[in-house]
Amino acid sequence: MTRTQIILTRLVLLGLVVATWELLPRLGFVNPRLLPPLSDVLTMLGQLLGRAQVQEAIWVTAAEVIVAFMIAVPLGAAIGVLIAENDYVGDIFRPMLFYVFSIPKSIFLPMFILIFGIGFGQKVAYAAFSTTFVVIMSAAAAVESVKADHILVARSYGATRGQILTRVYVPSMLPVLLETLRISMIFNFTGVMIAEMYASRTGIGHLIANWGENFQMRQLFAGVILLAVVAILFNEAVRYLESRCSTWRA
Amino acid sequence: MQHMASLTRLHEVAEPTAIEVARLSHVYAGPEGGVPALEDISMKVAAGRFVVIVGPSGCGKTSLLMMLAGLRHQTEGTILCNERPINRPDPARVGVVFQEASLFPWLSAVDNIEFPLALRGMPKEERRRHAEAMLRLVGLEGFGGRYPHELSGGMKQRVSIARGLVQDPPVLLMDEPFAALDEQTRMTMGHELLRIWSTTRKTVVFITHSLTEAVYLADEVLVMSARPGRIIDRIPVTLPRPRTYEMMATDTFGRLRDRIWQQIRKTTQPGLA
Repeated sequence: MTRTQIILTRLVLLGLVVATWELLPRLGFVNPRLLPPLSDVLTMLGQLLGRAQVQEAIWVTAAEVIVAFMIAVPLGAAIGVLIAENDYVGDIFRPMLFYVFSIPKSIFLPMFILIFGIGFGQKVAYAAFSTTFVVIMSAAAAVESVKADHILVARSYGATRGQILTRVYVPSMLPVLLETLRISMIFNFTGVMIAEMYASRTGIGHLIANWGENFQMRQLFAGVILLAVVAILFNEAVRYLESRCSTWRA
Repeated sequence: MQHMASLTRLHEVAEPTAIEVARLSHVYAGPEGGVPALEDISMKVAAGRFVVIVGPSGCGKTSLLMMLAGLRHQTEGTILCNERPINRPDPARVGVVFQEASLFPWLSAVDNIEFPLALRGMPKEERRRHAEAMLRLVGLEGFGGRYPHELSGGMKQRVSIARGLVQDPPVLLMDEPFAALDEQTRMTMGHELLRIWSTTRKTVVFITHSLTEAVYLADEVLVMSARPGRIIDRIPVTLPRPRTYEMMATDTFGRLRDRIWQQIRKTTQPGLA
């Protein structure tokens, strides 16, 4: 199949999903109270975006996501580099980190509520906590993706430690690091959502949980679409950067 | 005519010594005490000579080369290059060509060649001029913009050689540079290397597993023993230069190749010798 054919097929499939969503409830095959038609949902989304309460929730969620991200990524990257570069630290902490990494982080949520209460701090702390581990693992993998041969080549041409860092480590690690950013944002976003849906007074996750409990399906689906669009946009933005930075990868 | 330079090598006058290794030994720190890796290695390489080191796997030939490059430190003994000791990498005196995957995949061919110059902070235009000259020397004119994954194995090693030569060091160390290539490419690259050598007149120390390659390239072949590595034979290769593929079928070539093989066999299977 050519590239155009693939894109066309994708568009047709998307059209089918949209049409099915619109027509099934309209034609009475599905109860419209369970699945409202897409056009109703989009109209609701437009109305919601105009409401002060929803706008505030969006800002709160965005702030939580950004702050948690800014804590988790540098912290996880520093720990990851440390366990990959320092044999001593690596030998001691690697197994512990792997054990904790395997535990579903949501079971710790009640503890975060006990420590931080219900609010901004609890969301940020929990999301940062659940994201840090994946950043640690990826950053360690990024360091290990640096080839010893390349370091040796640089040394043989008299490179200083600083030059080895900027001219070998950074370009070697960049593709993995960008992927880390992307994946950690997925974990981070998920962390904030879970924390908001579990116990919260505001935020998009809180609104979605409320709408679900109150059977407000149009609002619920509108919230889902909003979140999906934001998440996909971020993901694609980083992917675009990745593809630009790694033209050399075969 | 490109071999004129190498013809003059036949009448060797007393050339200055490019590399002098004296009583070099090396002991690795193993989990159960020291493991002797190299033992009492002494060698002298005259300027402009092509010396090949062969030996069984694990005999420490790569370690020896790393020490000649200043990348590793020996436990005992001295290494002089142009009469001054080597104890850390000095790209002005020694260029190194590594095994296949040593090019930086995120740099184009020409940027790879410029890498050593960029480390020294040479201005961009001057760097490019040097790199372009090297591309011409190794027969890759017009391929400078390609990335390593867009080059064949042989072309990648041409780029590596160009990178090793770009600072014009008097000594070039080569660690099994053609080991990953198929046999046909390997033969061509050996021939190309001799052409480049005869135009640049570098002192070359070349490590290989291939006996044919050793005899074909060398002025002198040093045979190393199994660990701990010692030099157990020094075989002057009397074949005239320029070398040709036809020489491989001669008796002299066969006898030299056989002598190396017998030495290696003796050291790896002492019971069968």
